[in-house]
Amino acid sequence: MIKIVIIILLGQFSLNGICRDKIVIGSKNFTESFILAQMLALLIEDSTNLKVEKKLGLGGTKVAFDALKNGAIDVYPDYSGTGYSMILKKKEILSPVDTYQIVKKEFTEKWGINWSKSLGFNNTYALAVRKNDARFEKIKKISQLSNKVEKLKYAAPHEFMERQDGHRGFSQSYSLNFASNNITAMQSGLMYSAIEDANVDLIIVYSTDGRIKNFNLKLLEDDKSFFPPYQVSYLVGKKVYDDIPALRKIISKLEGVISEKEMINMNYQVDFYKKSPRQVAYEFLKKKQLIDLDFKFANNTDGLFAYLKSKKQYLVKILKEHLILSFGTLFFSFIISILVGILLTRYKYLAKITFPFINTIQTIPSLALLGFLIPIFGIGTIPAIVALFLYSLLPLIRNTYVGIQSIDKDLIEAARGVGLTNFQILKLVEIPLALPVIFAGLRTASVIVIGTATLAALIGAGGLGDPIFRGVATVDSKLILLGAIPAALLAIISDKVFALIESRCVSDGIKN
Amino acid sequence: MIKVNNLTKSFSQTKKPAVDDISFEVESGKIACIIGTSGCGKTTTLKMINKLVTPTSGDIYVNSLSCLGHDDVQWRRSIGYVVQKAGLLPHLNVFDNISLLANIKKRDKKQIKERITYLMNIINMQDIDFLERYPKELSGGQQQRVGIARALMENPSVLLMDEPFGALDPITRGSLHEELLNLNRELKKTILIVTHDISEAFKLGDQIILMDNGKIIQSGSADDFRDRPVNLMVKNFIQGQLND
Ligand SMILES: Nc1ncnc2c1ncn2[C@@H]1O[C@H](COP(=O)(O)OP(=O)(O)OP(=O)(O)O)[C@@H](O)[C@H]1O
Ligand SMILES: [Mg+2]
Repeated sequence: MIKIVIIILLGQFSLNGICRDKIVIGSKNFTESFILAQMLALLIEDSTNLKVEKKLGLGGTKVAFDALKNGAIDVYPDYSGTGYSMILKKKEILSPVDTYQIVKKEFTEKWGINWSKSLGFNNTYALAVRKNDARFEKIKKISQLSNKVEKLKYAAPHEFMERQDGHRGFSQSYSLNFASNNITAMQSGLMYSAIEDANVDLIIVYSTDGRIKNFNLKLLEDDKSFFPPYQVSYLVGKKVYDDIPALRKIISKLEGVISEKEMINMNYQVDFYKKSPRQVAYEFLKKKQLIDLDFKFANNTDGLFAYLKSKKQYLVKILKEHLILSFGTLFFSFIISILVGILLTRYKYLAKITFPFINTIQTIPSLALLGFLIPIFGIGTIPAIVALFLYSLLPLIRNTYVGIQSIDKDLIEAARGVGLTNFQILKLVEIPLALPVIFAGLRTASVIVIGTATLAALIGAGGLGDPIFRGVATVDSKLILLGAIPAALLAIISDKVFALIESRCVSDGIKN
Repeated sequence: MIKVNNLTKSFSQTKKPAVDDISFEVESGKIACIIGTSGCGKTTTLKMINKLVTPTSGDIYVNSLSCLGHDDVQWRRSIGYVVQKAGLLPHLNVFDNISLLANIKKRDKKQIKERITYLMNIINMQDIDFLERYPKELSGGQQQRVGIARALMENPSVLLMDEPFGALDPITRGSLHEELLNLNRELKKTILIVTHDISEAFKLGDQIILMDNGKIIQSGSADDFRDRPVNLMVKNFIQGQLND
């Protein structure tokens, strides 16, 4: 008997610890990150038996990096400059090689995280002009513009204008003497239309943005190397780096392989031809002869019906995830809130402490709350449920409390006078009378939870937010609607269903 | 039998007591009426007898049992209590309001039904579909009558009634007076009624207790009050109302 138990335990152990059969790939929430994650996924599927799980579209560097650190994902692509300035918080601008050496060394020492070699291209800031603008015909390098730009109009994203190492350093370093009324800070989407319509002449862009190709722009060379290097690598978590040596070999196939032009083109394929990141990654690998498998991809120019049909499985999956997230949370928080709400009506001094606390939770922006929870709960379904749970507390507890609190005291006394115990008063008088208010809280909470659950996609918990955020990142409105419409319908339906349940539970004697 | 000795209730230490050292006894099978101006402490006295309010000092006996050492809930269940403004639960229909305690005690459904039919006759609401209605669908007087039926449901030997006939027209009120006197005569119930109405007190009360400012000014029969008022205030109180 004991032997069997030991064998089973050992079996469990080896499954979890030694023979890993699964690898979790993450990505951040923009086109390029999606493509690079899919590229690695395809190569792993092609050459190993490992199961690939994808947690794509994580909401920012912090989320992705924390997830890697605590093992919720095994690998994701990121940029040397991001690791250098955002994670290591270093300021001094160094050469690409030095920057890479520092992040590689410090990440290994601090967290056991390994940086692969650069995949080749550099995605940093760049100065772009129209290809057909005659004034720039002979200009290839930024330094050629020194002291010649007073009459030119110039736009850059807000963050670039504000950063110390952004606009100010840039214009000084190259002696760019823009007239102050020719400088505009702009949202990046608008910037491209502005330069197309010749409302501005020079704009600051990300150097691998697909729109550079679409809007027919050319980049001027940063010949003084002012912009910090942002070379992309795969970051590999400590455990998986040791456990799966094959992964190193696979990644090395991609090192130094992708040029800037190729990356721009891939981003362009996704953002403008609405191809899926996976298809674009696949076509690139095929072209480079890095992959053997043959895949078929649905054509995104098909009609709406065909589109929905091709997404049916996916839609069912994310809908399921969303339902579990929202209603799982509501179920627990409803039970707990009712109990807490009742408790607070019995111990008023507790209410004085509790309400400021749960009010404060409500004011924390959702993304910040998720950010707090990641170090504790990692990424995925659990921190998402915890966050949703915290958000649903206020309407539920407050309405339970207020609902009971606002019952006429004489009525309670009459019931007590008849000879009801405290528990009977709660069960037969207070709760039935508070039900309309409690239901109002439940309906508010359900709308909050279903809406906020879309953000769960940013921490790898899936749900209807997954297509929404991927759609936003890859400028794909079909994909956005694929998540947004069901989410809105779900909120409306659940409100109606709760209203129906309410009208069944609440006595006609207290309906108006 | 209801008996209180030196009963006092102070809601705060600074203000003067709401009920100030009162003593009286209602013998078994008798009806006593407490009258007095608004705020003189009538409801507070009733609530103390029903153990809804804890006395500051003094003793209470019902059927020779001291209220001390008795479980509050059991005590209240043995007493019928008609609340000042009927106190019906708005989410329950008339039937469920009346049978509230009977259901908790898990009494036989058929017996409950029979008893309620009987009580609806007593309060003169046997006709229409009243049992199905919610309190908001009743007039003020009908609500008060249902409140009385609820207090009678468990057939208690002692009834406390806080202005039970306040919102009733003279005809209904008269018939309920008769019913109450019958109940008292046939079932030997001990009844303590709070009222504003001196003629009602004279008609129903074997004994009348006049309170003012938390104290008992005079206690005795209707004749005592008519013929031998203890002071001018009592005399004026009685005459002022009877002349209306
Ligand atoms: N819970 C309480 N806390 C403080 N004071 C109270 C409380 N209940 C009653 N009182 C005060 O005690 C006094 C007596 O109140 P009580 O309700 O017994 O008057 P009452 O004789 O029934 O008057 P009414 O005829 O208007 O019903 C009043 O002054 C009232 O304000
Ligand atoms: Mg009163």
